[in-house]
Amino acid sequence: MIIRIEPDSDIPIYIQLTNQIIEGIAKGDLKPGEFLPSVRAFAADLGVNMHTVNKSYHELEKKGIIEIVPKSGAVIKRHSHIDQEAYERLYQMLKPQIAEGLVLGIEKEELVDLIEKIINEMKKNS
Amino acid sequence: MALLISLTILLFLGVIQAIVPYLVKRTVVFGVMIPEQHIKDDYVVSYKKQYSILALIFSLLMILMFCSWISLKNPSDELLILVCTVIEFGIIFVNLALFYYFREKMKQYKEEMQWTKQMKQVSVVDVSVRSEDHLPPWFIYLFPMVITIGLIVYTLYQYDLLPNQIPTHWGLNGEPDAFTEKTPLTAIQMLLFLLLLQLMFLGIQIGMKFSGIKLSATNLTASKNRQLTLRKSTSWFSFYTVLLLTMLFSFFQLTTIHPELFGDSILKTILPFGFLFLILVGTIVLVVKVGRSDKTPPASLEKGIMDVNDDQYWKAGLFYFNKNDPSIFVEKRFGVGWTINLANPIGFLILIVPIVIILIITLLIN
Repeated sequence: MIIRIEPDSDIPIYIQLTNQIIEGIAKGDLKPGEFLPSVRAFAADLGVNMHTVNKSYHELEKKGIIEIVPKSGAVIKRHSHIDQEAYERLYQMLKPQIAEGLVLGIEKEELVDLIEKIINEMKKNS
Repeated sequence: MALLISLTILLFLGVIQAIVPYLVKRTVVFGVMIPEQHIKDDYVVSYKKQYSILALIFSLLMILMFCSWISLKNPSDELLILVCTVIEFGIIFVNLALFYYFREKMKQYKEEMQWTKQMKQVSVVDVSVRSEDHLPPWFIYLFPMVITIGLIVYTLYQYDLLPNQIPTHWGLNGEPDAFTEKTPLTAIQMLLFLLLLQLMFLGIQIGMKFSGIKLSATNLTASKNRQLTLRKSTSWFSFYTVLLLTMLFSFFQLTTIHPELFGDSILKTILPFGFLFLILVGTIVLVVKVGRSDKTPPASLEKGIMDVNDDQYWKAGLFYFNKNDPSIFVEKRFGVGWTINLANPIGFLILIVPIVIILIITLLIN
């Protein structure tokens, strides 16, 4: 899978990395059980500081998406059903976004369509 | 023999130096990063051509003068080799001057065209690229190292057989021409140097593994092919060099212990020259293989993006200094091969420590 970073963007590099890895997993380009490259290799390939990659990996671990196994690396976890904690987090994350949409005049049906569109984008390959 | 070797080296050096602009990474011209969309730009193409023609003319002129000097003066082998070395440095120096001249022109042109302002800079990484990175395992270096250690033990075991004068330098004819007093240390000094050299090459091999595989967003296939070819080919070439060196040094050591072993066999004359020849052939194969590995244009070219402009990390166009990059080595910008990331002390250590130890041993002996 190819990850593309824009160093000059307003979005910090570690967030770009995190988002693209999550998207890669959602799209099926990266599969549960697979290992992500080592922090050093990843940083060397991108030519960025190791802290940047480390920060992104810790972010992913905090979200429960990967597990950092000492000495072997970062492995992508398998999830069959969303747990209560993650559900709560998503709820809190989506709330202001949906509120913004409603204020800007989006209809309930349009909102549902929008979510479906994003899901289809992710499942295009599988 | 000396004439043949000198001419081969000069011709090899002159030609390789002249074609360097065509052997480097496709998006780097005279150490200046050029976006994929503009590598066929008329000015870029003509600067490369001008450099090659000028470099080639200079080298050929020097070789011609060298030949006429030889036919007029009929110099001794020592003088011939000395003059040849001076000419080698002359060729390298003039090519360096040409490089800086065209680098300045290229930089000005890039500035004028404002490419970096019109395009978005992106860097890419292939998460699964390391599964395609087939480097030789580090432990193959144990084989030549075991041979060297074995020879050290054997030399000390046969210490009485050794002559009172230990050879330290060999001429082109395979005969020693410089000696030193016999002590246990001088008896094995050459093998110690060999062992250090093997350790250094092993260090380079490991350092290479820990260095980034840098891809180009605008030409993924070609850049990946080049990076993987460079890593694999230089690794095997290093090992090949170590094997040849081990064979050459072992031969010299064995003839010192047992002068009658090879007697007046032809091996003595063909070995040094054969060594040089095999290294030259290996270098040509390496340079051509790596140099050609990224010359396919991309199937489709995305408009408006370019690779990250990393000119700022290349001091004087040749020296890489990037604190953020954890890579120990990076691909050279002018030439085929690797250079160290001067901001990473490990690379420095790998190359400097063996040289310092060799100097210390040499000082201890004299």
